[in-house]
Amino acid sequence: MICAAPVGVVFAPNPAPSSSSSSAAAIGYRRRRIRCAAAGGNTLYDVLGLRAGATVREIKAAYRRLARERHPDVAGGADEFVRLHDAYATLSDPDTRARYDRDVFVAVAAMSRGGGGGGAYHRPTPAAPPWYGAAARRPRRTWETDQCW
Amino acid sequence: MLRERLRTVGVRAACSLASSGILPARLFFTVVLLFLKLLTHTALRLPQHRLRLRSQQSPQSGLGESRFLGHLLRTVEQACRMTEQLYTVASDSETTGEDKSQMSFPDVAIGIDIGTSNCSVAVWTGHQVELLKNTRNQKGMRSYVMFKDDTLSAGVTGGATQEHGHEERDILSGSAIFNMKRLIGRMDTDEVVQASKNLPFLVQTLGIGVRPFIAALVNNMWRSTTPEEVLAIFLLELKALVEMHLKHPVRNAVLTIPVAFSRFQQTRIERACAMAGLHVLRLMPEPTSIALLYAQQQQQLLHDNMGSGIEKIALIFNMGAGYCDAAVTATAGGVSQIRALSGSTVGGEDILQNVMHHLLPDFDSLYAGQTMDRIKSIGLLRMATQDVIHKLATQEHVEINVDLGGGHKVSKILGRGEFEKVNQAIFEKCEGIIKQCLADAKLTPEDINDVILVGGCSKIPKIRSVVLGLCKKDDSYGGIDPLEAAVSGAALEGAIASGVTDPSGSLDLLTIQATPMNLGIRADGGNFAAIIPRNTAVPARRDMMFTTTHDNQTEALIAVYEGEGKQAEENHLLGYFKITDITAAAKGTVEINVCMDIDATNVLRVFAGVVKPQGQAIPPFIEVRMPTLDDGHGWCGQALAKMFGSTLDLAAVPKKLHP
Repeated sequence: MICAAPVGVVFAPNPAPSSSSSSAAAIGYRRRRIRCAAAGGNTLYDVLGLRAGATVREIKAAYRRLARERHPDVAGGADEFVRLHDAYATLSDPDTRARYDRDVFVAVAAMSRGGGGGGAYHRPTPAAPPWYGAAARRPRRTWETDQCW
Repeated sequence: MLRERLRTVGVRAACSLASSGILPARLFFTVVLLFLKLLTHTALRLPQHRLRLRSQQSPQSGLGESRFLGHLLRTVEQACRMTEQLYTVASDSETTGEDKSQMSFPDVAIGIDIGTSNCSVAVWTGHQVELLKNTRNQKGMRSYVMFKDDTLSAGVTGGATQEHGHEERDILSGSAIFNMKRLIGRMDTDEVVQASKNLPFLVQTLGIGVRPFIAALVNNMWRSTTPEEVLAIFLLELKALVEMHLKHPVRNAVLTIPVAFSRFQQTRIERACAMAGLHVLRLMPEPTSIALLYAQQQQQLLHDNMGSGIEKIALIFNMGAGYCDAAVTATAGGVSQIRALSGSTVGGEDILQNVMHHLLPDFDSLYAGQTMDRIKSIGLLRMATQDVIHKLATQEHVEINVDLGGGHKVSKILGRGEFEKVNQAIFEKCEGIIKQCLADAKLTPEDINDVILVGGCSKIPKIRSVVLGLCKKDDSYGGIDPLEAAVSGAALEGAIASGVTDPSGSLDLLTIQATPMNLGIRADGGNFAAIIPRNTAVPARRDMMFTTTHDNQTEALIAVYEGEGKQAEENHLLGYFKITDITAAAKGTVEINVCMDIDATNVLRVFAGVVKPQGQAIPPFIEVRMPTLDDGHGWCGQALAKMFGSTLDLAAVPKKLHP
């Protein structure tokens, strides 16, 4: 649930015209990240507990440290780890990191102008599809029912 | 033995009842449970609270049904408690005290490596991993089950014969089923199954996409069985061996599987385990379990603090008799992260078949049918060929002299160069796997710190030179036993997953797994749209937007596939379901979100639903646990295409520069 809650606040429910759906989707990745970053103040760096200029080595170390705390093998729930890993995956690759850094910057600038980024289109993020809540609370498998048959 | 047989019979009877539709699935669990509970020693110790939980917890089912089930479960529970008491009373009074201490023994999962050719089992003893030996002092036991008049015996105890030297000959007599791992969960159109037809037991194929007919020779009759059943019998014996060693019942296990195993095959392994009374805590791809062992060794070696970012990158290449896998792992501070996985169904068995065909070019025409003489001849040739391949690991030339009977003789000197030429295609495939793995991990050979070579085929000089050459290394990592690594890693994972902690920190490890194959759905007219690409870290959750392809389309078919092919039909169909009640609208305007989720225990769930333009999803959605298919993958896809054509098709909404 990175940005499910703040979304409604930030964006007016402006229905996307049918013709714009593909163009909105084409930049969907960017929009989503902007929204997350701007609305929650929760950047990918925050997820890893780092400052924006962290080195690759720091990112990897932080990821490992946090993975040990948040991995479902240790902690139980998957959401936290999925978010952590997404942050790591984006920031550990120089290309996606550069793109993300640029977008965060754009988003922050847009926010300060009061524009809000101007996204009309919303779709659930992979980290939190709207129906996922039920599954996330499900206990781990019980062999009598889950295993086979 | 009687109990085991009874149980198999019970499970089988329940299976047939369920498949014939007499028993609803839900009741079927209960019936199987009942059998398991009443007939096995282990099952008596199933945590009772789990049952109570289940009986109270079934709001999904109808009230009447749940009440009935609750009653049934309570009855089973009572019966079991009574049985348990009886059992305690009947046992020797001196051992009662010991029995109590066993009850409190933590249920640490054992590690099992079922190989195509050899199998081993390991346990965490409290401070280290120990491989268990069978009564014949073997750590690696041949994987086979021998069918005799009315007894079954598996390779764990060397059931084929008491004389060690004759074991191999008896395995090849037609009465034993082996290579279960290559046959399990495969259809008769599969080339691996086709290639298994010259094994000494009966593998009959019709080539129509159903499971092959498999049978063992018992008193001049072919007695039918299934790979799952054979594996279950083998695992039962293995479990008995472990229980004998540990002196307490065993319930949980971590098993290693090849990377190339489809999710459908994984369910077959789980089913075989359940038949043997084992609960699969985790199925680990073989290179992943080796990566865990490597991570442990590196941690101990460097006394590394977990915060440090210095990582060591290892390429793991594992080739056994049936499968070949590669993985790239990045390890630092006890965290092993799988960067890439790739695998294939080539293995030592293919090398063996190639050499057999090379030694006897008219092999296929000579030994097409399975008469007694032919089985014997194939067996002799197989043994001789195995011997040759083993010897070629150390010798440049090997002489073969074998009389196959019926006037056929093979006398030849096989050189290593010739051997390598015969198996050229296999070595090229190995190269391909490693190259793909490196490319997927976005690494160059220079980035690799260690090359780990494991599995029986890692002894073949050509394999070593291919792998080391690609990674530009002079030698492989030496700290790992090539035949014991996978099972040791599985036992480590078993201990970790069971919550065991070690004061010295040697279990302070974490593996971040990756998905070995693309997962996605059929879209854009027969194409495969990957939603979770391969090598995504597990747990994973990804979604994708789709839209309708026809005006006023109110239904859409979600067909879930797994594999590497660009066309959906080239991949494994895992299951399918329909989204209904889509609002009638022009094509391309309705948005359908499909989300795939793999949780930490590697269970795949697919969620799908229509999404409003504003972004709110319209309930109710559909959640499906995959795979839902049981058999006949090829048929299902074809039947769907025939029935619906393209009327229920979806188109992917182009999108996203995903990280």
